[in-house]
Order: sequence, then structure tokens, then C-alpha cells
Amino acid sequence: MDSLTALAQAAFWITVGFTVAGAAIAVFPRNILYNVLGLALALSGIAGLYLFLGSFFIAMMQLLIYVGAICIAIVFAIMLSRPLHLEAPQRAVPKIAMAFTAGAVFFVALTSLAGRTNWVPAKARGSDWSIEAIGHALLTRYELVFEVISLVLLVAIIGAIVTAGFSRRSSS
Amino acid sequence: MNNLNTYLIISAFLFSLGLIGVLQRRNLIGMLISIELMLNAANLNFMAFNRFLSPDPVVGQIMALFVMGLAAAEAAIGLSIILALFRKMHSINIERAQKLKG
Amino acid sequence: MGELLKDPILLAAAVGTTLPFLAMAVILIFTRHNPGVSSRISLVSIATALISSLFLFIRLYGAHGPLQYQTVWFSSGNLHITFGYYLDPLSLLMLAIVAIVATLVQIYSLGYMAGDPGFSRYYAFQSLFAGAMMNMVIAGTMLQLFIFWELVGLASYFLIGFYYEKWSASQAGKKAFVMNRVGDVGFFLGLIVLLLGFGNLGIPELNSAAGTHALSQHLITVSALLIFCGVIGKSAQFPLLTWLPDAMEGPTPVSALLHSATMVAAGVYMFSRIFPFFSASPEAMTVALAIGTVTMLLSSTMAMVTFDLKQVWAYSTVSQLGLMVMALAAGGYFSGVFHLTTHAGFKALLFLCSGIFIHEYHTNDMRVIGKQGGRKLLIPMICMIIGALALAGVYPLSGFYSKEAVLGTLAGLPNKTWLFAGLIGAFLTAYYSFRLIFFILLPKDGVEEHVDPQAHEHKEEHHGSVFWAMAVPVMILAGLTLVLGHVEHPLESFLAGNAEHSAHVLPVGHIVENGHSAGMSHEILLILGVSAGLLGIFLAWFEFGRKGSSRTGFLGSFPSLWRLFDSRWFLDAFFRKALDRFVYGGFTTVFTKNDRRIIDGGIDGICYFTEAVGRLFSFLQSGMLQYNLLIMTLAAGAAILYFLV
Repeated sequence: MDSLTALAQAAFWITVGFTVAGAAIAVFPRNILYNVLGLALALSGIAGLYLFLGSFFIAMMQLLIYVGAICIAIVFAIMLSRPLHLEAPQRAVPKIAMAFTAGAVFFVALTSLAGRTNWVPAKARGSDWSIEAIGHALLTRYELVFEVISLVLLVAIIGAIVTAGFSRRSSS
Repeated sequence: MNNLNTYLIISAFLFSLGLIGVLQRRNLIGMLISIELMLNAANLNFMAFNRFLSPDPVVGQIMALFVMGLAAAEAAIGLSIILALFRKMHSINIERAQKLKG
Repeated sequence: MGELLKDPILLAAAVGTTLPFLAMAVILIFTRHNPGVSSRISLVSIATALISSLFLFIRLYGAHGPLQYQTVWFSSGNLHITFGYYLDPLSLLMLAIVAIVATLVQIYSLGYMAGDPGFSRYYAFQSLFAGAMMNMVIAGTMLQLFIFWELVGLASYFLIGFYYEKWSASQAGKKAFVMNRVGDVGFFLGLIVLLLGFGNLGIPELNSAAGTHALSQHLITVSALLIFCGVIGKSAQFPLLTWLPDAMEGPTPVSALLHSATMVAAGVYMFSRIFPFFSASPEAMTVALAIGTVTMLLSSTMAMVTFDLKQVWAYSTVSQLGLMVMALAAGGYFSGVFHLTTHAGFKALLFLCSGIFIHEYHTNDMRVIGKQGGRKLLIPMICMIIGALALAGVYPLSGFYSKEAVLGTLAGLPNKTWLFAGLIGAFLTAYYSFRLIFFILLPKDGVEEHVDPQAHEHKEEHHGSVFWAMAVPVMILAGLTLVLGHVEHPLESFLAGNAEHSAHVLPVGHIVENGHSAGMSHEILLILGVSAGLLGIFLAWFEFGRKGSSRTGFLGSFPSLWRLFDSRWFLDAFFRKALDRFVYGGFTTVFTKNDRRIIDGGIDGICYFTEAVGRLFSFLQSGMLQYNLLIMTLAAGAAILYFLV
């Protein structure tokens, strides 16, 4: 048992490492393609973390939606825009410093808040992690949310098309 | 891995990284990437609470699902805005967008 | 309202004094373009006023004590200010004088002002004056008196500046009003002191309280001196006397009514109205005596050097007012009031006669009038001589009796210098008035026929309605001048009824009966008075009337004195300098600076400040999205740290 647990722990921490590394690659390098790839790595790491958190379905969804759709869309957008290496003025140091400070402050705030709070689990905990349960809930209890989000997606698509279309008319 | 706090710290860390990226990058698409990172950190938070605290595991998963859906919609819109802005400014450097200065 | 209609006395008083105001309103609003209707409205109102004042006079002739009507006007706590009428012998006498002279002047104006474009306006203001003066005369409280005092000053301003297109006329009106106002500042301060110290401004209360020593001596002196400032302003005493000669810019009937008989007498009237109050303070009386003397002498000297017909009578008015103030301040209640009455008569007469001359020859210069044959106009010439004889104090005219009464009062004072000053004044008065008479009556180089293309119309006018409108009042006044002297004793007892029946007791040593003077007998005084007048007439004849006289007068040999008198003892220059330095240089500059720098500057400063703050805040609007996000997250993080951790 110990070795299994130890193996699980090691796998966990490796996943976390991938996630953090991906995040770092997504934020710091200047080359935009590095950033996209880093994002993809980070999102995959998070999918792995979802597995550790017990939901196979969500992990698959993460990979499908985020890595498969969103990252590809971002790559498309990158290809359609002028490469940024043609203009690369010096990064302002105060700006970077302030950004790091803000990030650090926020991190400290959140972690100390998390540490201080006494997290009380609910008394009666369910144990049904199956996909049928999710589907059933989506169509009965959370029906409204389901419909609303489909509406939101519709509006988003229309909006995206319209915005892209307008600017095409007004640009040279 | 069996500790809620671990996940909370991880998600806080990811969120802060994303925040740094938003505040510091000049490339619009870079900012969008960082925003996606922040959204994912929040999603991780939801899943962690779902695993350790919630009475019914379905709720948390549905929540995470919806956040993903919304993130997708937002990314689509964001990209089309960036496209429109690019056509206008001929650049995706956010420091060029200062028409509201003063 | 019911009691108003039931009581004929109250009705007469109210109607007589209010109707002129109504007439003014009607004329100004409705009938300005119709001169005939306007003058008729005004004449009707003044005739009504005359009838009611005569009615009141006759009805209340032998009344036992004064009659008072009053209603509470406004009150605050213990303080009650009333509005009402106080009808005692003095006010009835003054009411009659004002009504008679105002009626005669308004009739005269029909002739004098005929054809003038501002005819309606003139009559409106005449009505205003008549209404205000009569209300002032029967006022029951000092506040009511003050209000109508100011209204009278306002009417004077309007009438002096009647020919407002002429620069000098409008300036003269302004000068009169401002000088009056300056005096009234003191008056009002005195009223406030009285109100604070005594709590009541009613006239009978004031007089009786002064008599029974209910007020502190200090209070009486201070308020009396302050109230006397009003007398100085209104009755043209020294130093505020230069407005009266300038007021001759107004039409002559105005000069006759306001600036000789009634308005300027308002100050003297007010003095005699609260005579017991004034006489309770010997210091105030002495000051008033001194000022009256100085006024009388100064203005007599000024009258000796001027060639303008109306100016002579103006200076003479100032001088006679000084004499009246002297009489009152010396304790002679009756002699002051009697001289006021007779002076109203003969001074109005003199002015109206001068008006006829001016209307005929279109000049004010006495030399020109004489040369052009002024003496040929018989009625004005004769009446003017009668008036001048009265002014000089020649028997048996009214002026003789009143001047003797005044000199008698002055003789009663322990210090004989006042009497001496009065005699000099009498001498000078006779001198300058007959100087004028001789200039017109016996012109130097004979009479030239004035070549007037309108001579024919003038001759017809001599018998036309214009002429008679002017001649009849003049003749009536001349008749009054002849007989008024003989009513001295009935008048005295009429006015003394004032003293006997009212509650106050006049301090004994202050009233000097005619002739019962200390240390001087009646006969010596008579001889001195008459000889002063005759000496003046003789000197005038010697210098101006005699054939072959030099016509320059004894002053001609003292050019510096001539200049001194001619420039009104440099009073005008002094006022001009004081005005320039203190008012324009001082107050005006301070206030202008305050307005420009502090008030305007303050508002500008607020604008600049707002702008600067705005500019400061605009730095925050960098337009950079990431800065906004930065601030937002820093704030959120700090908030979380502060509140939750």
C-alpha cells in the first residue's frame, strides 16, 4: 500500500509540476507560440488534477474543450495577426514590478484566507460520481442553467461573427 | 493530494500567475491566454471544494462544466474583439490603445 | 373704517392729507399726456386739502388740548409703533400754512408752467409734495414724521431736477437729496438712540417725558444733537447750506413753495414740534443757537454779492431759517413759530414776483431785468417791494412784528452777543434785499426798450389768463403780508393753548415773552431793531438807488471779501475736496478693490482651483487598461488582507 500511495503522490506532484511549468511558459516568454503551447500544457495538467479530484468526465471535457478547441482558436488568431517580434520595445521595469507585487499580494491574501478558514465538510455526502447522475441532474434540476448556457453560447457566436464582420467592413 | 489546502494553494498560485500575465503583457493574445489560466484556476477551486466539502458531487461537476462552457464563449468573443482591434490599430500591442487618455 | 366716516375731524384730516397722494398716482399712471386734466386733478386735491385744513383749524380753534388719533402699525414685544394724526395748535397752524401756500403756488403754476412739456409730471410731484408735507405736519410719532420728511425730500429732488435735460439742474437735485440724506443719517441715529433709551417715539410722550425728567440728561442731549443734524440738512443750516442756492435750478413756483415757505421750514417745524424735548438739554440748545447764528450771518454775506434774482432770495431764506433756529434755540417758541409763519408768506410772495419777472424777461439777472424795464410790470413790482419791506422788518408789515419778537427773544439771553448778531443780520438783510429792489426799480442808465419781436403777444398776455393766474396769488400773498402782523396776539394765545392744556410744563426760564427781557426794555429793543433795518435800506439806496452812484457797493472795494462771499465761503470747494478724497478716494476705492480682487478674485480662484484639481486627477486617466486592472487587483488584495485575514 505504501508504495502505491507513494506512487500516487509522485504522480500527483509530477502533474502539479507540469501544470505550474505550463503556466510559467504561458506567462513569461515573449514568443506567443511558446505561450500557447505552455497554456496547452497547463490545461492538460489541470485535466490530470481533475482526475485526482475524482471526476473522469470533467477531465475529458477539459481536454476536449480547452485544449482541443480554445487553444486551437487562439493559434488561429495568432496566425491572423502580425508577428509581434517586429516591434519589441523594452519592457518597462516599474510595470513588471508592479505586476509582480499585485500578484504576490493576491497570492498571499488568498492563501492566508484559505489557511485561516475552517473548512467544514457537509454532514451527508453523496457518493455518486457517475456520468448518468450528471446527465440526469442537467436535465431535471439544472435544466434552466443548461438552457441559459446554450443561449449564452448562441449569443457569443453571433456576437463574435458580428464583431468580426463589422470591422471587416470598416478596415481597409 | 488528500488535503483541500493543497489544491487551494495550487489554484491560488495559478491564479496569481495568470494575474501577473494580464498585468504585464503587451500582447493582447497573451493577455487572453493569461485570462484563460485564471479561469482554470477558479475551476480547479470549484472541483476541489466539490471533492472535499460538497454534499452532492454532481453539483460541483456541473459548475465546472458550465465554467468551461462560458470560458469557451468568452474566448471566442475575445478573439473576435482582438481581430476587430487589430484591423483598426494594425497592431495587437495593448499600449497602443490609449484613445481614452486624459 | 366705520369710525373714520363717523368722525368729521378724522375724516377731514385723513382725506385732506391722502388725496394729494392719490392725485399723484392718478396723474402719473393715467393722465400724463393730458396736461389740462392733470392740473385739474391736482388742483382739486389741493383745494380739498385746503378746505379740510381750514375746517380743522376753525373747528379745533378753542379746543382744550390736542387731539390724537392713532392705530398700531407694527409692534414687537413691548415696542409699538403707531400711525396716526396729532392735531394740536402747532400742527393745525402748519397745516393751514402749507395748504394755503401750496394752493396759491399751484394756481400760479398754471400760468408759469403753461406750455411746458412736463406739465403733468410737475403737477404730480406738486401733489406728492403737498401730501407728504401735510402728513408730516400732523404726524403723531417721530417715525411717521421721519418717513414723510424723507418723502418731502424726494419730492424736492424730483422738482429741483425737473428740467432734467439740463446738467446743472439734475446735479442740483442730486446735491439737494444727498445733503438732506447726510443730515438724515444723524436724525435717524437720534431716533434709534431715543428708541433704545426711551422705548417710545410718540411725540406727546416725548415732550411730556422730557418735561417730567423721565429721561436721563445724557440721553436727551445726545439724541437732541443727532436729531438736530436732520434740521441742519433739511433747513440748510451751516455746513449743509449750499444745496439751497443750487436748488434754484428748479422752476420758480417750486422755489416758492418748497425752498422758502414749507419744505425748508420742516426742519424748524420739527424743532418746534419737540421743543420741550430740545429745551430740556441746554447744551443742544447752545449748539443750535451757534449754528443758527453762523448760518444767518454767512448766508447774508453771500446774498450781498450775487446778481441772480433767485439766488438772493435763496440766501435770504437760509439766513431767515438761521434766524428762526436762533429764536427757537434761545427759548422763544412763539417767536420762532411766528417768524416761520410770516416768512412763509412774504418769502413765497418774493419768489412768485421774481417768477413773473423771470417769465417775462427770460433771465435771472437783476441788472438785465432792471435795464429792460422791469419796473413797468406794476403788480409784481409793488408786491415785491411789499415783500422786501416785510423782509427788512419795516412797520406795519408782518415781518416787522415777527422780527421784533425774535429780537426780543434774543435779548432775553444773558449773553448779548447773540442779540448783536441778530441786529447785524437784520441790517444785512435789509441791505441786500433793497440792493435788489433798487437794481430793478432804478436801473443805472435808464430803461432801454427791450426789442422783443413778441412784444405784441406779451402785451396781450398782460391781460390774459396766464398773467392773471400768476398775478392773483401774488396779490393774495401781498395782502396776507400786510395783515398777518396784526394777528400776533391771537396767534400767541392760540399757540400757548398748546402749553397750558398739555401735560408737560415748559421750563420757566426758557420762554421769553415778547419784551419782558432781562436788562433791556421794550422800547430800546424796538429802536435798535427798526434802526438796523432802516440803516440797511439807507445804505442800499446810497450805493445803488441814488442817481450817480457807483453801483458796486462797499464790497466792491474789498475784492478778496467779494471772492470769499461769492464762493460761498469756499464751502462748495471744501465739500468737493472732501468728497474726492474721502468718498471717491477712500470708500469707493476700497469697495472697488474689494469687488475686483476679493469677490471677483475669489470666484475666479474657485474656478482655477477646480481646474487645477481636475488637471491633477486627469493624470489618473492614462487610458491604459493594465493600470486600471493593477489598481483594481491591488485594492482587492489589500481589502481581502485587511478584512478577512
